[in-house]
Amino acid sequence: MTKRSLILATAVLVAVIAIGAVLVYFFGPGHRQVQTASQSPVVGKAQVGQPAPAFEVSSTAGLFDLGKATKPVFLEVFATWCPHCQRETAVVDRLYRKYGSRVEFVGVSGSDTGMDGASPASELDVLNWARRFKVTYPVAYDPLQNVANLYLQGGFPTFAIISKNKKIAYLDSGEIAYNDLDSALDKALSGH
Amino acid sequence: MLVIRVLLGGLLLVSGALKVAHPTDLAASIAGFRLLPATVVGPIALALPYIELLLGAYLIAGLFTRIVATIAAIQFLLYGGAIASAVLRHISAACGCFGPNDVSVADWPHVGFDLALAAASAFVAYGAPGALAFDRKLRRA
Repeated sequence: MTKRSLILATAVLVAVIAIGAVLVYFFGPGHRQVQTASQSPVVGKAQVGQPAPAFEVSSTAGLFDLGKATKPVFLEVFATWCPHCQRETAVVDRLYRKYGSRVEFVGVSGSDTGMDGASPASELDVLNWARRFKVTYPVAYDPLQNVANLYLQGGFPTFAIISKNKKIAYLDSGEIAYNDLDSALDKALSGH
Repeated sequence: MLVIRVLLGGLLLVSGALKVAHPTDLAASIAGFRLLPATVVGPIALALPYIELLLGAYLIAGLFTRIVATIAAIQFLLYGGAIASAVLRHISAACGCFGPNDVSVADWPHVGFDLALAAASAFVAYGAPGALAFDRKLRRA
């Protein structure tokens, strides 16, 4: 085999990989969407503009009772095994640093599976998750996934912003950009 | 030199092989760095494992060693840069360096590791082709 033919073979191989990747992405099955949420079959009854379903959980900051909240509430329903939730902790932490004094933050676990994807979820699993991903906002273990059954929007993480008058101002799932959540919180605080 | 070249090649082969069957997970990892638009992330996630396999095989064989090692060095520098930018932006991006089971959070030690690999690749490129390289046979041909 000559050098020339090897160069030609390499160039063809690289071109095949590049063109193949583009073709599979645009015309292949299921690759077009970059997944930003871990799928969950649960879609709760919570809806934007509707009264927020009541819940209470025991969080790392004490008992959290939505009915007794005097500020807007930022709720995250997460799963410790969900890579999107693990990444999103940095975004929520940043929001917590900015709004923590004006908004009540609470993250609630919504899966019966632990961080390793195999063992059952537990209080310790949630605490380990918070420590591993340097979570500073209050988090809670919800053994019966009551909050998830009410709020989850088919994927982890799901975020809900509940206004002071206990209506859902924002509800979405997936890895949501900081700016989107920031403006949603800003809006909820200004009462729009 | 031969040992470094083979180790680098082996590392790229393992890394590519672990990713090749999981393009969606790799896409999610790349997207987690929030540096590239989704339309670019998808094709990169599909192509990158094959490129790593190709680079690894060529390095081990010592074929086009100088150019392949230079590309590997640039690739490791890009990885290191992406991880450093995530750390500086306080994004806890999952590294995904060795497939979907690698959920280690990208941090400064990862940056150091990639820079060391980039330096090793540059060293291989500088000393190319080195012993037991297919390039030597090509030269003689």
